[in-house]
Amino acid sequence: MNLSVELEAREDVPAWLVYGTPVFTVVGALALSAVALVALSVNPVAAYGTMFVETLTNPFGLRQTATRTVPLVLTGLAVYLPLRAGLWNVGAEGQLYMGAIVGTWIGINVSLPMVALIPLAILGAGVAGGLWAGIPAYLRAKWDVNEIITTLLLTFVAVQIASYLVRGPMQGGLGNIPGSAELLDAATYPTVPVLEVHAGFLVALLAVAVTAVLVARTRMGFEVTFVGSNPLAAAQAGMSTARVYLFVFLVGGAFAGIGGFSEISGVQGRLRPAFSPDYGFTAIPIALLGRNGAVRVLLAAVFFAVLFVGGSRLEVSYGVPAALIDVIQALVILCLITAEFFKRYSVDVELDDEPAPTDGEPGGAA
Amino acid sequence: MVGFAAGLLDAAVRASTVFIFAALGEIISERGGVLNLGVEGMMLVGALGGFATTVVTGSYWLGFAAGMAMGAALALIHAFLCITLKSSQVISGVMLTLLGTGLTTYFGTDWVNRSIDGFPQTTLPVVGRYLVEIPIVGEALFRSTAPDFIALALVPAVWWFLFRTNLGLEVISVGEDPETADTMGVDVFKMRYLCVLLGGAFAGAAGAHLSLAFSQLWATGMVAGRGWIAVALVIFAQWRPERALVGAYLFGLLDALQLRSQGIDLALDAGAPLAGVVNPVLELLMHPTIMSTYPYLATIVVLVVTVVRFDDSRLGAPSALLEPYSRETD
Repeated sequence: MNLSVELEAREDVPAWLVYGTPVFTVVGALALSAVALVALSVNPVAAYGTMFVETLTNPFGLRQTATRTVPLVLTGLAVYLPLRAGLWNVGAEGQLYMGAIVGTWIGINVSLPMVALIPLAILGAGVAGGLWAGIPAYLRAKWDVNEIITTLLLTFVAVQIASYLVRGPMQGGLGNIPGSAELLDAATYPTVPVLEVHAGFLVALLAVAVTAVLVARTRMGFEVTFVGSNPLAAAQAGMSTARVYLFVFLVGGAFAGIGGFSEISGVQGRLRPAFSPDYGFTAIPIALLGRNGAVRVLLAAVFFAVLFVGGSRLEVSYGVPAALIDVIQALVILCLITAEFFKRYSVDVELDDEPAPTDGEPGGAA
Repeated sequence: MVGFAAGLLDAAVRASTVFIFAALGEIISERGGVLNLGVEGMMLVGALGGFATTVVTGSYWLGFAAGMAMGAALALIHAFLCITLKSSQVISGVMLTLLGTGLTTYFGTDWVNRSIDGFPQTTLPVVGRYLVEIPIVGEALFRSTAPDFIALALVPAVWWFLFRTNLGLEVISVGEDPETADTMGVDVFKMRYLCVLLGGAFAGAAGAHLSLAFSQLWATGMVAGRGWIAVALVIFAQWRPERALVGAYLFGLLDALQLRSQGIDLALDAGAPLAGVVNPVLELLMHPTIMSTYPYLATIVVLVVTVVRFDDSRLGAPSALLEPYSRETD
């Protein structure tokens, strides 16, 4: 008896697959993660109930979700924009840290009224994040140095710089706990009435809107998408890929930097070493899930925010390590690229008693 | 000074082993045409798997083998996604690093702070006990742990395998020109699976060396970017094992320098000209936290220099790297 697998490239993708992919992806990832839960003898159904239902059915959980969404969507955009141009920014975490450092420094040392100080700190954080992302972008644009490795390595550098600063030059009066001084009141985001979420949430929504318009409505946005889909054709059409590369990284890095300051100003109050639970890395699956549009990036960020909030709930109630979130993130990507395969190929599996022809397609049978 | 140099060299050699294992694995994988950005994750899985196995069984050799097997298991996912499903090698690799980081943090919490008897220091068998007597380099090169010796022996072995055996030449052919290789009767799919799995096993060995011989403990995220440095090292080495050895020593030296920086005092006398400017700068540059960024910065500098000095054709990247192979003619 033989199993023969036939692969055929699809001419066009059926609609149910296009819209089903994100759903399939998330469900598949949660199903696979259930294995990890079972391994620590936790009932996955009860655990997911705690994670999602309890988080989304009370005002506190919803507010926390909105708060977590802020750094996630901003770093998500920092990965999403270069991805549109066919580049990988896996260093949003470092850009987040650089923004947090500069934003915090301004928020401690510049004395201005709130209406001037917060915009100044946001600007400083954006410039810091943008320039940090600008280094790999410049190296890629000028010398074709692989941006994946450089963005990632610069992340380790940024995290160490923050760690050095809060134990040295920027250390505040906290005794033995490493951390900067507290932000001035004028540099702390006010709470938005009704929503009861810090103002960084509005900043993040604005960034999503700006990105959506930028990509869909501007000439630069068109060039970004063109370069991303076919860099050679774009170059022949007279577009400067170098300019596009610099643009997506500078703007994306700026968003991540603003995300860093927003987390400090809206949540933490002071810069601490390792203040981010890898927001900038979670940005990678967020950007992948949302790569068809800025609003989808927002939705993906909300999903991961729920995971984070629900995950810490899970940690409290079941003693499950919060690293489960990392596992789910990776599995989301795993399911996503598996789904991509089914989008591109239709698969026929046949079971027959004849020996399979030896020149058959050797794929998929593993 | 002689004592310091000998100590530094010794530390550098031991710190370089992990880069040798990981870079050799990456070279094999990329020579076959598959970029593996999951090395960091495979190293973490190898480190935890090796450590846990050693704690349970008490045998560091069993732990080392388990680490290799775990690395290969993660690589199997990469192979399936990239070779069979023809997915993006970049996405799959990044995903596997995330997965490895997540899984080892998730399952590793219980193993933190356990102590083990890892690989002991030994002299090189047979000739070792005479060679150790050589001043400065003797101790560094000929008294080490078994994985250190294995890594060193693997450099010529991998070179021989790739450039002097039929199988190795087939590996290179599927990385350079899979269509032609297929026509000549080489099973491209099998060959690439073999390369990716070997690469994963080497990454697992790098991780197991880290937890069993280098640190003799498990700590969350203990690979700390060394996997990424290994990926960059392969470009620096231009996909050649012997050059990877040179690169691994360079990064090992940087690693060792950072750990021993407190022993170095380069400050100028207070009365010397420019002391007021030079000394604070030196103090900043020699700060342990700042020094820990040097391997990452050095990697970037090395990457830029390599890429600028050699254009694409002379850089030596396998031509079919990143390209999934498909037999369909369309």
